[in-house]
Amino acid sequence: MSFASSLSENKYYLSGSDWVISALDYTMKKATSSGNMSQVVFELGCKIDRTLFENHLRGFAEELPVLCGKIARNIYNLAPYWRIPKNTKGGAGIEAHHVKNPSKAMLLLEKSANRRFKNENEHVWFNFISTDKQKTFLSMAFDHRLLDARGAEMFLNLFQQYLAAGNNPRILEGIRLSAPSGLSDWMRKFYAGRNVNRRFIALSRMAPDGLPLPFGKGMGFKFKIIAFDTDKTKLIYDNAYREAGYLMEMPYLLAVVIQGISSLFKKRGLPVSNFLIPVSIDIRACEDTKQELFFNHVSYLFFQINSDSMNNLKGTINSIKQQMYEQVKAGFPKDLAEASFLTRIAPRSVLGKLLRLPFKGKTASFIFSHVGKNSYLSSEFMQGKVENVFHMPRVPVPPGIGFFFNYFKGRLNLSISYLEGLLQDEEVAGLEADIKQRLAHVQHDE
Amino acid sequence: MTVNEIEERLIHGIASITSRDKSSIAVDTPFHELGIDSLGLVEVLVFIEKAFKLQLIETDLTKKDFETIHSLAGFISKKL
Repeated sequence: MSFASSLSENKYYLSGSDWVISALDYTMKKATSSGNMSQVVFELGCKIDRTLFENHLRGFAEELPVLCGKIARNIYNLAPYWRIPKNTKGGAGIEAHHVKNPSKAMLLLEKSANRRFKNENEHVWFNFISTDKQKTFLSMAFDHRLLDARGAEMFLNLFQQYLAAGNNPRILEGIRLSAPSGLSDWMRKFYAGRNVNRRFIALSRMAPDGLPLPFGKGMGFKFKIIAFDTDKTKLIYDNAYREAGYLMEMPYLLAVVIQGISSLFKKRGLPVSNFLIPVSIDIRACEDTKQELFFNHVSYLFFQINSDSMNNLKGTINSIKQQMYEQVKAGFPKDLAEASFLTRIAPRSVLGKLLRLPFKGKTASFIFSHVGKNSYLSSEFMQGKVENVFHMPRVPVPPGIGFFFNYFKGRLNLSISYLEGLLQDEEVAGLEADIKQRLAHVQHDE
Repeated sequence: MTVNEIEERLIHGIASITSRDKSSIAVDTPFHELGIDSLGLVEVLVFIEKAFKLQLIETDLTKKDFETIHSLAGFISKKL
């Protein structure tokens, strides 16, 4: 018996954000080895009983048929929705591997981040990597159509709560699995669309610079994970406070990445005129996390930085802060979320093409996000210590490269995700060194 | 406008921004403990501009000014 019950005939009507994510999934499946998916990785400082984990996971997944759903359209009003089966077996598969040395786990994690889901009903699966040392890696690959990054952490948090409650399914009560069709308030949506359109017209006056894409289809993504320890993280946050101001970590981190990418462009001899960077932001409105656990609750800010200000960190930070203020004041993220409902009428194949139109075939220079507060709240998983949590997202192509920061228990992580062939190994090493040096430089008092 | 009145309005705005109940926000709680990040801070500054007609984005706001709602209310009161 499932406690996570749907209220409306097992239908969760997709929002505009969900539909855009779905369109990106479609285009990424055409252009790369897999769709719009990501992977959240737990680095555990202990051994975990795999069979026990599998048994717990099976019981948990059986309570959540939403994990096996798929997209469908209402034949009367054409609104897309997630069709939730009435019951299901399975829903969260698991593969297991063993490596002698934890340092070899990254290759397996990279492989699992690129593994296509088996069919239209698989949206979550786990990779269990044991080692000879007291360390285990547990990754959950998830379909972005079903979970966003914060939702994925919240899902695992809920799993841990389920285990702590003795596998009590009552812990799942209150998960919202229905949403209204959103087929009302058309004037508000159209006004929002008008505002969004105006901003995109202003942003599209110059096509953004992007790294040239490698030839070929079906390529996977590679990842460089940079995990800063607590001392380095404190230094980075102190630098952010000094350069950007109180609580202004995101502008600081973004400005440093912009400088790093600009430097990479120059080393390649590529012209730099302006970068356009969409930054995802969480727009969850409920304090109860179970209400907005599944599906996408994000909107975006768009930052445009001209070459004049790229070399000057302070100038870049001030430009980012000013653009952030102006877009929030204008209500742009809310307008974007509202206006995107209008895109749901378009088939995903068409929407995928339309998304590239405003910026002359490109969507961005690179993707960026900063999750400043972890949603996995426990320091344990299955009674083992969680040493770190980081993400490995695949990125839409173009641009084929993204920078994703997350924070877990005093540690900052940076995940650089890039299409195979977009960067050479030496360039990745150079970019890593450059960003590390810029982020965590030690200020010497004069 | 008194500091108390400013505090009340700030609590109202921050409750909306952080999706919390007003009763859970104390005037002496530091902003970073209220779960406010870069975006949340900008939303607070936009709220202040709309509620008090004060643009604070360009000013040298320090951590001390944002120590608590009470200290921010004091800062706003001086500017009004």
